[in-house]
Parts: sequence; structure tokens; C-alpha cells
Amino acid sequence: MPPIVQQVIDALTATPPLAGYLVVGAIMFAIGTWGALIRRNAVVVFMCVELMINAVNLTLVAFGDFLPGEGGLGASYAVLVIAIAAAEIAVGLAIVLAVFRSRRTVNIDEVNTMRG
Amino acid sequence: MSYTGEAFLGLMPELISTAFLIAVLMVGVFAERSAGLVASLAALGALVTFVGTAVLLFIGFEGEFFGGGYVVDGFALYFKLIVSGSAFFAVLAAARWSSGTGDAAEYLMLILSVVLGAMLLVSMRDLFGIFLALELATIPSYAMVAFDRRRRESAEGGMKYLITGVIASSILLYGMVLIYGVAGSAQLPDIARAFSGSLTPVALIGLVLLISGFAFKVSAAPFHFWTPDAYQGAPTSAAAFLSVAPKAAIFGVLLRILLEGMPGAAPVWTVVMAFLSIVTMFVGNLFALRQRNVRRMLAYSSVAHSGYILAAFAALQGDAVPTGVQAVMIYSAAYAVMNMGAFLVIDLAGEEVKGYNGLFRTRPGLAISMGVFMAALVGLPPLSGFFGKAWVLLAGAQSGSGLVYVVVGAVVVNSVLSVPYYFGIIRNMFFEEPSGGETAGEGGFAVEFSVYTLAAATVIFALIVGPLAALAQASGLL
Repeated sequence: MPPIVQQVIDALTATPPLAGYLVVGAIMFAIGTWGALIRRNAVVVFMCVELMINAVNLTLVAFGDFLPGEGGLGASYAVLVIAIAAAEIAVGLAIVLAVFRSRRTVNIDEVNTMRG
Repeated sequence: MSYTGEAFLGLMPELISTAFLIAVLMVGVFAERSAGLVASLAALGALVTFVGTAVLLFIGFEGEFFGGGYVVDGFALYFKLIVSGSAFFAVLAAARWSSGTGDAAEYLMLILSVVLGAMLLVSMRDLFGIFLALELATIPSYAMVAFDRRRRESAEGGMKYLITGVIASSILLYGMVLIYGVAGSAQLPDIARAFSGSLTPVALIGLVLLISGFAFKVSAAPFHFWTPDAYQGAPTSAAAFLSVAPKAAIFGVLLRILLEGMPGAAPVWTVVMAFLSIVTMFVGNLFALRQRNVRRMLAYSSVAHSGYILAAFAALQGDAVPTGVQAVMIYSAAYAVMNMGAFLVIDLAGEEVKGYNGLFRTRPGLAISMGVFMAALVGLPPLSGFFGKAWVLLAGAQSGSGLVYVVVGAVVVNSVLSVPYYFGIIRNMFFEEPSGGETAGEGGFAVEFSVYTLAAATVIFALIVGPLAALAQASGLL
């Protein structure tokens, strides 16, 4: 096997450093925040919020794995966060449905009877 | 170490409110057409929770449970009193309205679950426990705001509150996770060890995200834009309750996080709080000046009052820390009585400023109560709002920092700025002719009882401020 191939295999199978997970998490979180702020469809905004929460979960699990003496606490916190996110979205979709019933739209810009 | 029995005693208020929450839901399911029974059960639940908390406070109960993640001290119990007390009036105010919706049990259950979340919140000493309790307090509040199906604004306000709320929760959570990663633990005492000395960039980002998330939750500018729409759309009892109880609990837990979790970083966060406070006060008051709708005006006024409380956070440095903590505690109680009362008046006199014309001629008692609330919100001396502001100014004066003096100056300037819109209503009530046309009066006896009781509490606040200050002094934080 040529040494270059061996190097590639090593790089692929080695555990990535903590910084790698954190950077990916930060990028995901930024994309999610950006989307949540610029998209006008309420359902798409919820999808972006899910992306934000999953980015946080990735960061959380990575920290939980790398911190010394944590014994899987990080991962159990992540399970809590997943449950909370599900509850948020359940209430959220119910409210979006209520808005849709009265106005036939879920576009945030068109739902604006209150101003000032 | 603590025994199980002691943990049960410490958790008694939460257990009581959980029991009543389940009972309300069950009665609602099995006995339809029982709105009166459900409302009395919920009111009883809030009252018993209040009494239970008061008993714990009276016997001086203190303890740490669940590995130090849950703490019961005077500080937590004080905020639990505010939360359960305001829940009692919210249930009274909601009783008649909610029976008209046909879903009284669900609505009252939501109030009780906000109570449960807010009470757990002030006792948590673990970042993820705090997040869990915060969501337990806020997720039902989205539903409360969107509950009124007869008004289209309700669902709209609920959606705006929800979307900004979930984004804010994610930002807050990201901040907590970064702090957890830096400190290696989610418990506040461990975090305090990591946050001494100079901060790493990740720790600084975590702190800023955490404070931004909390700023959303207490409607501090520039994160306040959901507040007017949510409070205008919400049922009156929901707006009155949500502007007071969860907010007081969030200020309480923020105080705990900052003082127990990161006292070493105080030079950083006091500066952030100072700027937040100044911007919040000006935005709240300047926007409130242009409002013709009383709900919207009170929503902006609640933004401004968040700014006044944040001024006390800016003063948490040097010798001023005990006074600053006292200021937050006393202001929260003072604000709870006066703001809740002012919101509940809307149920009796309508939400248009014009509807208040000549109210003194038609309903003198109501007009005098509203006048008391407005004067208290301005901060006139014998009333409750004055003592909140007085403690904030005292804390600012003791802090000995130039920036805090600027914040204190802004508090004074803003108190003057807020006079026109509060006194505009008083002028309309006492010196204008009744505009004719019957005003909306769907409140009923329970609402009137709440309004008059809260007005009395606002007036006699001077008598209880001494014991409150003593309680705050002995609260256990610091």
C-alpha cells in the first residue's frame, strides 16, 4: 500500500479533535440563525430553529465526550434538549395551524394586523 | 446530605402546584360544564402554594437537594411567593373569561404549569435544569397568548411570541452549552471557579449569548419587539400574569447565575447590563408615548420597567451588591402588584385610551384604582413603584462606578419621560367628559375584587417594604 493511501486512511479513521466538532456546530448554528431570521414561512422558520437546536446538541455531545470525568452527562443533557425541542415544535405547529385557519397564510409578513 | 423527608418538605410548594395542576386537568376532562369548579380549584391551588411557600419562608427552611442542583433558600422562596401570589389573581381574573371559551380547564392548567416552571426556575443551580424549568415556564405561555380564538390578534401575537421565543431559547441554550464546555460542569459553583480571572473567547461568547437569550425573555431592548404584539393579542389575564410572574422568576435566576456562577466576570457583565438597561428604558418609554391602545402602552411600559430592573443588575459591583440584590427583589414585588392591577383594569374599562374618558364620573372606584396604578408606575412616593426605584437609585449610588451613575441618571430621566403617558390616562379619567357608549365590561366580580385588592396592596406597600427588605437581606444569596 502506498504511504499516501495509508495517510488518508489514518486521517479518516482518527478521532477528530474537539475543535472540529465545535466548528461544525458553530457553522450549523449560524446557518440556522440566518435562516430563522430571513425566511418568511413560519414552518421553514421552525425547521431552521431545529437546525439551531441540533447544532447545540452536537456541541453538547462533543463537550460531554471530551470533558474529563463527565461520565456521559453531556449526552443525557442532549436527550433532555431533544425532548424540549419536540415540545416547543408541537406547541408551535398548533399555533401556526390556528393562524392558518383564520388567515389562510403562514407567511410572517402577511400576519401583521398589529403595528406601532 | 439531606434526607428524603427534607427534600419532600423543600419541594412542597412545587408538589402542591403539580397536584392541583393534575386535579384541574382531570376535573376538566371528567366533568365537562364545570368551569366554576375548575376555577375555584385552580385558585385554591395557587393560594395553597402561596401559603406553603410562606410557611417554608417563615420557618426559615433552607437546603440543597439532588446533588446541589436544586436549592431552597430565602431568595428562591421570595420569588416563589411573587409567582404564586400573582397566579392567584390571574386565575381569579381568568375565571369568567375562560368559562366563556369552553376550555377553562386547559387555560387554567396552563397558568399553573407556568407557575410550576417559574417556581422550579428560581431554585435551580444547574444550567440545564435552569433551561428545563425556563422552557416549562415559557412553552405554556405561548399557548396562553394564543388561546383567545374569538380575536384574530391572539393567534398572531402567539405566533410572533413563539417564533422569537424559540429562537431566543436556542441562543440561550447555545450560550449555556459553551459555558458548560469551558467550565467542565453545569453546576454554578463549578462555573464560578472557571470564570475567575480573564475569560477565554469561547467563555465570552457563551456569556454574551446567555445574556442575549435572557434579554429576550425579559423583553429588554433590542430584543423586545415581540412584547407589544404578544401582550396586545393575549387574553388580559395572560398578559397581566406573563408580564409579572415569569419575568420576576427570570430576573431571579439571572441574578443567581451571575452572582453564584460568574462573580469573577462581574466587570464584563455589569457593563453589558448597563448598556442593555439604558437602551431598554429609552425604547420602552419613547414607544409607549405614541400608543393609543392601553394594552400596547402597558406592554411598552413593561419593557421600560425591565430596563429599570436591569439598572440594578448594572450596579452589582463593589459594596453595592447586597443593595442591588435587594433592589431587584423589592422592584419585582412592587412591579407585580402595580402592573398586574393596571392590566386587569383593561378587562373592566376596555383597551382604548378614549374609553377612559370620564371614568371617574361613571365608575369612581375603578378610576381611583387605575389612578393609583398609573401613579405607582411613574414612581410617586407613597406607592409601591417608588420603593423599587428608590432601591435601584440607592444601589447605583453605592456602586461608585461612573457608568452606573450614567445609568442612574437615565433612570431619573426616563421616570420623567414616562409621566405624559401614565398621567394622560389619569387626565382622561378625571377631567374629560364621558364619551358616551357603554365601555367593555366583561370582567365581573372576581376581576373587580382583584383590582381593588391590588390597588390596596400598591397603596400600603410602604408598610410591607420594611419586612420585604429584611427578607431580601436574609435571603441567602451572598
